[in-house]
Amino acid sequence: MIGAFFVMLLAGIPVAVCLAVTGFVFGYAGFGPTLFNLVPARIFGVVTNYTLLALPLFIFMGIMLERSKIAEELLEVIGLAMGGLRGGMAMAIIFVGVLMGAASGVVGATVVTVGLIALGPIINRGYDKGVATGVICASGTLGQIIPPSLVLILLADIMGESVGTLFAAALLPGLLLSGLFIAYVLFLGIFSPQKVPAIPADERAVYSGADLAGKLVKVVLPPIFLIVLVLGSIIGGVAAPTEAASMGAFGSVALAYFSGRLTFDVLRDTVRSAFVTSAMVFFILILAQPFGLAFRGLGGERLVQDAFTFVPGGMDGQILFLMLILFVLGFFLEWIEISYIALPLFLPIFAQAGVDMAWIAILVAVNLQTSFLTPPFGWALFFLKGVAPPSIATMDIYRGVVSFIALQLIGLALVFLFPALATWLPGTIGW
Amino acid sequence: MARLLLSLADGASSAVRIIGQIAAWSGLVLVLTVAFNVLARYFFSYGSVALQEAEWHLMGVGALFGMSYGLNQGAEVRVDVVYDRLPRRLQVFVEVLGNLLLFAVAVLIAWLSARYVQSSYAINEGSPDPGGLPMRYLLKAAMPVAFVLLAVQALARAAADIGRHLAPIPVAPSGEAESLI
Amino acid sequence: RAQEAFAWKMTNAYSPSSPFYVEGPGSPTDFCKKVAAMSDGRLTIQHFAAGELIPALEGFDAVRDGTVEMNAANAYFWAGKLPAAQYFTTVPFGLNFQGMNAWLYHGGGMELWDELYAPLGVKALPMGNTGVQMTGWFRKPIESIDDFKDLKMRIPGLAGKVYAALGVDVKLLPGGEIFPALERGVIDAAEFVGPYQDRRLGLQNAAKYYYTTGWHEPSNATELLINKVAWESLPDDLKAIVQVAAMACNLESHTWCEANNAAALKDLVENHGVQANVLPADVVARLKEVTDQILAEGAAADPATKKVHDAFMAFKAEHDQWSAISERPYHNSLAG
Ligand code: NA
Ligand code: NA
Repeated sequence: MIGAFFVMLLAGIPVAVCLAVTGFVFGYAGFGPTLFNLVPARIFGVVTNYTLLALPLFIFMGIMLERSKIAEELLEVIGLAMGGLRGGMAMAIIFVGVLMGAASGVVGATVVTVGLIALGPIINRGYDKGVATGVICASGTLGQIIPPSLVLILLADIMGESVGTLFAAALLPGLLLSGLFIAYVLFLGIFSPQKVPAIPADERAVYSGADLAGKLVKVVLPPIFLIVLVLGSIIGGVAAPTEAASMGAFGSVALAYFSGRLTFDVLRDTVRSAFVTSAMVFFILILAQPFGLAFRGLGGERLVQDAFTFVPGGMDGQILFLMLILFVLGFFLEWIEISYIALPLFLPIFAQAGVDMAWIAILVAVNLQTSFLTPPFGWALFFLKGVAPPSIATMDIYRGVVSFIALQLIGLALVFLFPALATWLPGTIGW
Repeated sequence: MARLLLSLADGASSAVRIIGQIAAWSGLVLVLTVAFNVLARYFFSYGSVALQEAEWHLMGVGALFGMSYGLNQGAEVRVDVVYDRLPRRLQVFVEVLGNLLLFAVAVLIAWLSARYVQSSYAINEGSPDPGGLPMRYLLKAAMPVAFVLLAVQALARAAADIGRHLAPIPVAPSGEAESLI
Repeated sequence: RAQEAFAWKMTNAYSPSSPFYVEGPGSPTDFCKKVAAMSDGRLTIQHFAAGELIPALEGFDAVRDGTVEMNAANAYFWAGKLPAAQYFTTVPFGLNFQGMNAWLYHGGGMELWDELYAPLGVKALPMGNTGVQMTGWFRKPIESIDDFKDLKMRIPGLAGKVYAALGVDVKLLPGGEIFPALERGVIDAAEFVGPYQDRRLGLQNAAKYYYTTGWHEPSNATELLINKVAWESLPDDLKAIVQVAAMACNLESHTWCEANNAAALKDLVENHGVQANVLPADVVARLKEVTDQILAEGAAADPATKKVHDAFMAFKAEHDQWSAISERPYHNSLAG
């Protein structure tokens, strides 16, 4: 089943179609037609899933920012302000990823939004395509670990931990990963400067320090206003995390209006592009449903269970095995499916052994976050591919994410070796 | 033959495009609805169960109708590692095969979901929450309709590719030409 | 025929590893284990938590068309399909655990339930009960009925309609978002289940005023939904095993809740600074007035609901008289 899927995928059949066809064919061969009566229920569940609301809302915001040129100017000016620092724009993207991550928990939303805003400008600046796409995918997935996050909410539900505990536990590991990404960009700046070029001195020279400061204030204020709107509405108790995205989307329309760029053409254009971009994400999620159903119906989870009985090495061995399973499943299954398949198998064992479940949850979350990036079937990669200009090949993206996957694994190892990274904050604030 | 295929495909694609362009505005309505719910609750302590349910009703309709429009605009995602290196004729073959498979899948899901809608309609299903939106089967009915549209669009694209392959004269590709990015 | 083996599927409206709703003594997975053991493997039921096979609330349709044979949920989730289904989970100011089971098993409740579901090709058995639930978590104390005015509360279902009539701004939120919303004050109050389940969500870190009475859910029955054709295909001994296992779970789940809620409430009050209080009597009285009115409206709007409503209320009237001289004095003298 998995093999047939990869063959179609590599031949270039659209991802969503591969998922649906494989699901139907192998499901039918394995358990006959009856179980497929459940496909409509699963699809209805996806398209009416309240927690996915942030997806169309953030995509709308991203496209509005892009169409009204607000985002482009922002990155441009940040790049200029970072002056001769190599990798300045990449760091700006990581920074935006952290902030967007703090506002949203839906991976497609962040990757697509940052991709829309930043991929064009950074490539125009001569960044290596791999580094550019890698940094966007990786920063986009930060939203999954930096609270609030859909993954953490689901994990809390499955693992029986309080959502608040997991949010608190995820904060430091999330910042740690962001720090690793920045360190990597700095490292590239020193050892392969051609991949992360600074903005040329003559271009910078056009602006005096005062000019630049003025421009900086002018272009940085509007997006900061949006971030304050989204984050502020969560922190200030105006909006629940999912609803907060609407403040950003609504704010982006308001911004475009007050900057005099909101023509009917821009609005219509934004509405249509946002529609297509959300559709691209939903298309994959919707047509993945027969696949998920077939995997279950064929007892895919029993394979995992059987493998588990042969694991040596005690508790540490079992945790590492869990990590390995998640990582491997991440190649071809969607994270929600993975969580439901893998976690219930392991949880009773860990719970019985008295392992700190918040710590396990964070290990799982970082691992799932990594699985968004693993080729060939990382969801973040597809989402970015969907909004990337044709000059960016899938291979560029694959090449780009490899180093970030390595960084993620380092982050994972650190959380594994130093559980306090996850457990200290919830303990300290009493959550 | 080729011309007939092409003009049929063109007509079908245009219909999908126009429906999609109208459905696209559901995105703006969604933004405004959620924003209204948040602001009205915060500033006026006003809340309506129906308007809260409208949020995911709008998302559902948008997500479903977006599929055919997205395909119309050539926004489907593929892994092009091997595909890019294939000769043009083989690419066309993969393209046609993909669209025919999608057609089959869409027809199958449309058929499955028609039953799903029917059982909802038979009992006049509404919201389980008092004050929620009635006639849930209308929302569910968006599923078969959207998958029929998707099937039409997939078939139109396959037909256009075959038609262009058969036609001696070069014809501008439909749909993908105005890819959004 | 008697030796034929059956392999069934059960879906569940609740997430994997939820205590009571999925795992633990008297839970749906425990039911599956009990049935397999009692039937010596002749009836095995593979359990799927919410999201594993289908989304949480799709179980009714799946059982109805026979794709799965069983589903575990609460009947009031189907209120959008059958308004009368509400009465088979809980009724605000209705019957407690004892009264509800007395009605279902001996007062004609199960017959009415069967009658309601028969046209849809399904049947139901009670398979669990949380017992009395808590009013919920409030960020500010409730001292009078006016404190409900403009209060933003997460409260689903019929109780939401009662609160709305008193000026509460009803907010629908999935379980996972209750904590962040309550913690930041997006909502001022939230209802979930009881001490053990609520502590699991961490609600004590978001609000400190924890109110009872469980006026809105004096008990809460878990529903085992069964496809009728599948049910008829079972030989009598397996039918009996299913019935007895469901009954055993009904008792075991409730006693499990009683024991764990006691310990959890003690922990919440002693270690988390939670103030557990009873709603003021005049507030409860007003809630009751509105509830009566809303239940009457619902009964007037739907003949099937009226039939169940009238039967439920007739039974309740009699049962109230009995408990007024049995349980109530006992509780009162204990408390005093
Ligand atoms: Na986040
Ligand atoms: Na409750």
